[in-house]
Amino acid sequence: MTDVKPGMVQRYKLAQRVVHWLGVGSFLILLLSGLALLVPQLAFLAAGGLSRVFHRIAAFGFMLMPIVYVAIVPHDALELLKESFTYTLKDLKWFKHMPAYVLGSTKGLPPAGRINPGQKIHHAMTFVMFVTVAGSGLALWFGQSALGPEGLAIVLSVHDLSMLGLTVLMIGHMYFTFLYGALPAMTTGFVTEDYARMEHAEWYESLSPQTVAMTESDDQTAA
Amino acid sequence: MASRYAFSIDLDRCIGCQACVVACRTGNEVASGDAYITVSEEIRRKDNGFWGSFAHKRCFHCTEAPCVEVCPTGTLTKVNGLTAVDMAKCSACGYCTQACPFHIPHVVDNHVSKCVGCLDQVQAGEEPWCARTCPSNAIRFGEREVILAEAKAKVAKLRERYPNAQVYGETQLGGLGLLMVLLEAPGVYGLPEAPQSSATIQTWKTLVKPASAGLTALAAGVMGLAFVFARRQHAKEHAEVHTAAPVEAAVVETPAQTEENHD
Ligand code: HEM
Ligand code: SF4
Ligand code: SF4
Ligand code: SF4
Repeated sequence: MTDVKPGMVQRYKLAQRVVHWLGVGSFLILLLSGLALLVPQLAFLAAGGLSRVFHRIAAFGFMLMPIVYVAIVPHDALELLKESFTYTLKDLKWFKHMPAYVLGSTKGLPPAGRINPGQKIHHAMTFVMFVTVAGSGLALWFGQSALGPEGLAIVLSVHDLSMLGLTVLMIGHMYFTFLYGALPAMTTGFVTEDYARMEHAEWYESLSPQTVAMTESDDQTAA
Repeated sequence: MASRYAFSIDLDRCIGCQACVVACRTGNEVASGDAYITVSEEIRRKDNGFWGSFAHKRCFHCTEAPCVEVCPTGTLTKVNGLTAVDMAKCSACGYCTQACPFHIPHVVDNHVSKCVGCLDQVQAGEEPWCARTCPSNAIRFGEREVILAEAKAKVAKLRERYPNAQVYGETQLGGLGLLMVLLEAPGVYGLPEAPQSSATIQTWKTLVKPASAGLTALAAGVMGLAFVFARRQHAKEHAEVHTAAPVEAAVVETPAQTEENHD
């Protein structure tokens, strides 16, 4: 049995956390090895095809990420997808408060569910750009000889802009994580009850007392 | 060194002996199974009959070279009119293979493969291997103006026998660094009349690519600055909340002393 975690609730299961860090690792390698072709000062990383090899290995891991997610926790994956693309009028109210939230203020922020509307948009855009970056990447990888000059320029443009979008999303994601000290949600998987009540009130309400009690003493089910 | 070099190939003189191909491979120590140039005999359809000629497939050393435009590593550059290759820098990305209007470069063993212009020889005051070796003097190399004038003079003579004879490459893509003395129209040899650099490539190169890198850096900078401000604001608010209404959970000290969370 793992430690009892008094006053804590579980936010992410082990499987979800593993998939998350697989994504982080492969994304950072993809970014660095990709930038080798974008930033002349980093071109030395590309010499001899070095970055090319890393980019392909990491691309494999990156594309494996959603497959693994669906395979091990199909229910969670489906829920995430559904939540990310479902928006209500209530979310609009939340977005009104978003500028203040960005600047570190949670005053007057309407209660949010398990995932707040900002996170929903973040996830939705990540889904879309995951598809565009992987699609254009696969075209460069396996279909290059059929591209011709026009095709090459279009595919590279899609790939570059997806890189821009995903990297901005990633920086924004880290921004909120460190601003609101949320890292433990993805390391230990647990957040304080205090936090859950304050930032994701609706989600906290929806957790049955048993769930809260159980997760407090049972990390093993997650593992 | 001259300022702008060029080659010329006189198809009226070429005898298809392959000496240039062998000299190029040996002189440049090209791996077996690979070659920077090829010479083949091609039977072409002309009027109602057939007609044979030799086809040289090799880099034209374009002045405005699309391959140089797309090369992300600085492997391909223009040096004194020639399209130079710095093999050690190549990432084998293959962009040049798609950008070249003549389908010249290919990727072999994790690096690009195309005529390197024998710059090492030229810089040492020698002629490129192919030009030096050609037994019928069909391949010429030198100052572009001289080579061009020579090719034009040859065409003037050829016109008596071949009314369509012409110099290929005087103006295309800013002027090619390999001028071909053709006996017929370029189309007969499968050469494009007006090879062009793609406008889409220009857009990617001058707009999309720098914007992608630049905006990524800008976003990182702006968010970094905002973070400093936001973090202070948040610390202030957090202190207010906790002095005003101490929540029971705050009593429980946990290692993960998360104030508020966000995934
Ligand atoms: C999802 C799977 C991905 C695949 C299959 C993929 C594949 C490729 C391929 C084949 C290239 C061509 C260069 C080479 O052959 O080395 C490339 C270039 C590049 N990739 Fe990826 N990639 C993927 C994801 C990513 C991600 C997530 C990023 C960054 C966030 C990224 C950034 C780049 C960049 C910046 C370039 C250079 C493009 C250019 O030259 O303008 N890639 N990628
Ligand atoms: S110039 Fe040198 S590299 Fe180019 S074809 Fe001639 S011998 Fe080969
Ligand atoms: S012919 Fe092709 S490889 Fe040679 S300089 Fe022109 S674009 Fe580059
Ligand atoms: S394959 Fe090599 S030479 Fe060709 S564009 Fe890529 S880095 Fe440049």
